[in-house]
Formats: sequence, C-alpha cells, structure tokens
Amino acid sequence: MQAFQQNLKTLEAADTQVLGVSMDSAFANKAFADQIGVTFPLLSDWGGKVTHEYGIYKDEYQAPRRVNFLIGKDGKIMEEQVDKDAIDPTKIVDACQRPKMKN
Amino acid sequence: MSRKSALAAGLLLVMTASLFAQKKEDSGMPKVGDVAPDFTLKYFDGSNLKDVKLSDYRGKKNVVVGFYIFAFTGG
Repeated sequence: MQAFQQNLKTLEAADTQVLGVSMDSAFANKAFADQIGVTFPLLSDWGGKVTHEYGIYKDEYQAPRRVNFLIGKDGKIMEEQVDKDAIDPTKIVDACQRPKMKN
Repeated sequence: MSRKSALAAGLLLVMTASLFAQKKEDSGMPKVGDVAPDFTLKYFDGSNLKDVKLSDYRGKKNVVVGFYIFAFTGG
C-alpha cells in the first residue's frame, strides 16, 4: 500500500481513486494506515464476502491474495497484478496515464 | 469411421472442451475487460465508519482496488 501512497499524486492527477482492501477490521486498517502513512481508504472486507466474489481468497492465508485491479470509468477491469507482481504497481500507475483512461 | 462421423466426433470434442473452459473461468478471478463486481465496504476515517461503493465512481473516476493479505505485515 505504501507504493500506491508514493504514487498517489500521479494517480490522483490521472483521475484515479485508490482503495485498499483486506479482511482486517475497519479499525485495524485505520491503525495500519496511520502507521504506514496511507491517506486513502483501507476498506474492511470483514468475513471475506468480496474477497470470495473476486475469486482471490487463499486458504493458506485464510485471507486474500495480493491482487491489484485497475478499473476504468466504464467499470471494466483494465489491468490486473497478482501475487508478487502486485508488489510494484508501476504497471498500473503507467496505465492510468494512458489517454484512454482519461475519458 | 466415415468422414462425417469423424467430423461430428471432432466437433463434439471441441464443444465439450469449451464447456469445461467456460466452467473454469467462472470460478476464478474476473479478467481484464470484465466488469468489476460491485461492492460496498466500510472504512474508519478516525471518527466514523464510512461506506465506499465501487459503482459510485462509475463514469467519474478510474479506481485502483488493491487487495492485501493482512494489515501490519509490510502492506
């Protein structure tokens, strides 16, 4: 999430809202956000309903896999990053700045 | 086997295979080009619990949704 925070100005300039999601409680996520200096919302998927709907629940973790989605203004998924590839969000930051994402 | 029945058998094989492929896709992650499943989730802003609904951004903003494994683990 810090990697998104570091790129937040670029993302916001490209008309992009960043949301983090985990299965932690909303209160734990707020404490986590404060600790690491994240200013965008970290959402609580308590119980994992959304994690399951997105098909990314991992039994081994009893939690979501690390996955980033870039969703366009039309609601469609434009880019995905999964597991280790999701640690560095450069692909998504670059994609936001493509002209087609600005419409 | 006649040419016709071989063709029919081949066609059946392709149809069965595509049926299985379809089934596999349904159980996995949404793909690039799919509409992202809508959700409403809460976050705590320090004083209140607030709802965020993905579809509220439709037509207004792009959205990055970053799922992470656990809070306090490197994030």
